[in-house]
Amino acid sequence: MEQPLLEIKDLRVTFHTDDGTVHAVNGVSYKLEKGEVLGIVGESGCGKSVHALSIMRLISIPPGRIDSGEVLFYGKDLLKLELDELRQVRGGQIAMVFQDPMTSLNPAYTVGFQIMEALTVHKKLDQNQARDRSAELLSLVGIPDARRRLDDYPHQFSGGMRQRAMIAMALSCEPSLLIADEPTTALDVTIQAQIVDLVKRLQSNYGMAVMWITHDLGVVAELAHKINVMYAGYIIERGHVKDIFKRTRHPYTLGLLGSLPRLDEAPGTKLVSIPGLPPDLVALPKGCPFVARCTYVTDSCLESMPPLENVGDRDHLVACWNWAAIAEGAA
Amino acid sequence: MSAESSVLVKVQNLKKYFPIHKGILFQSHIGDVKAVDDVSFEIYSGETLGLVGETGCGKTTVGRTILRLYEPTSGHVYFEGIDLMSLNESGMRAFRKRMQMIFQDPYASLNPRMTVGSIVAAPLDVHGVPDGKDKKERIDELLDMVGLNPDFVNRYPHEFSGGQRQRIGIARALAVNPDLIICDEPISSLDVSIQAQVVNLLEELQGRLGLTYLFIAHDLSMVRHISDRIAVMYLGKVVELADRNEIYLRPLHPYTQALMSAVPVPDPDIAETRHRVILEGDLPSPAHPPVGCNFSTRCPLAKEQCFTADPEYREIVPGHWVACYFADQFVK
Repeated sequence: MEQPLLEIKDLRVTFHTDDGTVHAVNGVSYKLEKGEVLGIVGESGCGKSVHALSIMRLISIPPGRIDSGEVLFYGKDLLKLELDELRQVRGGQIAMVFQDPMTSLNPAYTVGFQIMEALTVHKKLDQNQARDRSAELLSLVGIPDARRRLDDYPHQFSGGMRQRAMIAMALSCEPSLLIADEPTTALDVTIQAQIVDLVKRLQSNYGMAVMWITHDLGVVAELAHKINVMYAGYIIERGHVKDIFKRTRHPYTLGLLGSLPRLDEAPGTKLVSIPGLPPDLVALPKGCPFVARCTYVTDSCLESMPPLENVGDRDHLVACWNWAAIAEGAA
Repeated sequence: MSAESSVLVKVQNLKKYFPIHKGILFQSHIGDVKAVDDVSFEIYSGETLGLVGETGCGKTTVGRTILRLYEPTSGHVYFEGIDLMSLNESGMRAFRKRMQMIFQDPYASLNPRMTVGSIVAAPLDVHGVPDGKDKKERIDELLDMVGLNPDFVNRYPHEFSGGQRQRIGIARALAVNPDLIICDEPISSLDVSIQAQVVNLLEELQGRLGLTYLFIAHDLSMVRHISDRIAVMYLGKVVELADRNEIYLRPLHPYTQALMSAVPVPDPDIAETRHRVILEGDLPSPAHPPVGCNFSTRCPLAKEQCFTADPEYREIVPGHWVACYFADQFVK
């Protein structure tokens, strides 16, 4: 089999705080193939952003610490690279777009300067070439009158345009992996639709892999090939997008889908909410972290964390002791 | 909603302009941000009216102006037939206890230095405890009603999660037995699984207490779930208003159509096949709205007349209001 683009093996990240050790990522392993769009779904504090930042070693150490694991990018462990080697990868082969377009651009520099910076550093272009390329990129992401807008400062751009500029910046070095951390959460739906459409188009044109981190199941249904569902620092279900939505096996994923109103629901339908709150990451329960909110609990759930098991014929993994019973109930 | 339902709130030609001034010492008035520009609608007793639109469309301003947290530039709001804008401060106070509000940010809307008990008791101190009950008893009852343990009265807001804080905000709004609650994006800062908890709570309370909601949000799928009727706002104007199923199955305004198709559907089969209308560009500034129809700059249907005169807001079929010249072609 061909080498995957990115392979993460047993990644564990903790934060050491005054209140104790926060177990943010607890043994995450998966592969991401070239050109694949992977959706990472979960609620606040499930470790989805921390795990992505750890890939690029962007978490602050201390208080954070990557306790164990390997992040193999083209077979090279990013966690072991020297900083100057890592810098070649950051923004070059792996680019990242962050959630808040209002704060991720530097207000003191023009948008053009910030895009050109990546091009001069990674692509070794001179000023004129970099400027031409930046204008091209800005018009590629749909900003009208791009050449003139290069000299604008971020405050002269609207939220959607700033996020586009961030994407232009991320794409500038033709990365083979784009990590997008809730890139549309701060935007309105019509602007979100524009951005999703743009990323979809660019992804198929350039064949880059995309890791799209979000809490919005709707967006990943449209965009992703595969989905990782995370809870309390674990991947609790992973599979092809249709398996996750149509052959859901983990009670948490079922709960998340139930929490969303359906377009074809009858009037007066109650939403299926998940009772309770996510667990405290300082004091995780001994067994499965979802026990306190789960309706399928059995004795083994209280005893130990279930391993990820293959439950289908094509890479559909579930970490639940009772997935078979749930499958029967669904059938 | 049946046609006989009584009108609780009637909003008529409501306008709220925020003036723009220039200069520090010698200020001159150089323009207005037209946050709400000639909006009319009715809220029936016992219903949930959803008010949706994007950032900056004026939906929050409408909610606040109804409560007179902002003084309107012009227009009227009738509460059971009485014009709230004609009331003086003490007259208004009598109505304030019938209209309460739940705010968007449960982290900013609760005073961190007050205990849960005193937060919920604040409206009782101003307006008195309804039905002559004991205050402490009423607080316990309220906390119980929103699913919080009454033993929590002496705790502070920071000890609670976002969803629990929003429950405290709901208990505070319910304290004085209001008729109308204006819910200003009450769930948008919460996680998905917690959103469903809060929405279920709001629905259950409505059934039990006969509340009327004005539910302001930008999450269209949740609005459709909770609302009886839905009004869509764009740049300070209501562009379409109809029954919740009508507006989802047969949106007549091109903006509503684009907005509906932009909502991501959590179903890969539907996502694969459906047609999307992707709007170009951004929302124009409400300080300089376009001449003619406000939506003309982004509208795929715009023709000459759209750039010269504002289309009339009309009832195109019974109960379905729309402001577009070309709405008729979608009626069939």
